[in-house]
Amino acid sequence: MRSDDAPMITPQNILRHELIGLDVEILEASNPSLVGIKGRVVDETRNTLVIEKYDGREVVVPKDVAVFKFKLGDKYVKVIGSLLIGRPEDRLKKKIKNIYPY
Amino acid sequence: MGYSKRRIKKIALERIDILMNLAEEAYRKGELDRMRRYIELSRRIAMKARVSFPKKWKRRICKKCLTVLIYGENCKVRTVSDKNCPHVAIKCLNCGNVIKIPMVREKKLKRKLKRMKKEDK
Repeated sequence: MRSDDAPMITPQNILRHELIGLDVEILEASNPSLVGIKGRVVDETRNTLVIEKYDGREVVVPKDVAVFKFKLGDKYVKVIGSLLIGRPEDRLKKKIKNIYPY
Repeated sequence: MGYSKRRIKKIALERIDILMNLAEEAYRKGELDRMRRYIELSRRIAMKARVSFPKKWKRRICKKCLTVLIYGENCKVRTVSDKNCPHVAIKCLNCGNVIKIPMVREKKLKRKLKRMKKEDK
């Protein structure tokens, strides 16, 4: 918007940014049938993401049991799903605990 | 990790832009429920972050039925030179709701210019 060369969504602000429209892959999940799903995020609620697979089917994935890999431009970011809990408009102002207190 | 207000507002504007572009795409594909959901989310984000909805998009949504308006396709734009309140009227052809944008200031300026021309003659 203001500076077109810099990407809008970065690994630093992905927890507060928009997830709808991103390409996603599930790396780990407590439910083994969810592992390996690839697709696009089409909707988001407090506890779930709705992923549309490339063949057109939609899957509802709970956030807190999975580890996601999001595609940002030509890079990939791994995100622990329990950090994404919260309604999409509430995530904007959410306080995030330091998980790596170096 | 406190995020400053300015940064939150910047992120909110970016999110609104992303969602509205997706909503337009969804309308073109004919997925109306998804489009409504995206517009609802983007309006909620604007309220939460206390940013005014960008003018570029404000006039392109129907607040009554939450559809993206594409000028000349699902809405019609007319200027109404009402004497009390001249305005631009955008009518949604889906639900019939009319958005009125007043143009009192522009009309006054025009009248003033006309008067000045007459005086010159």
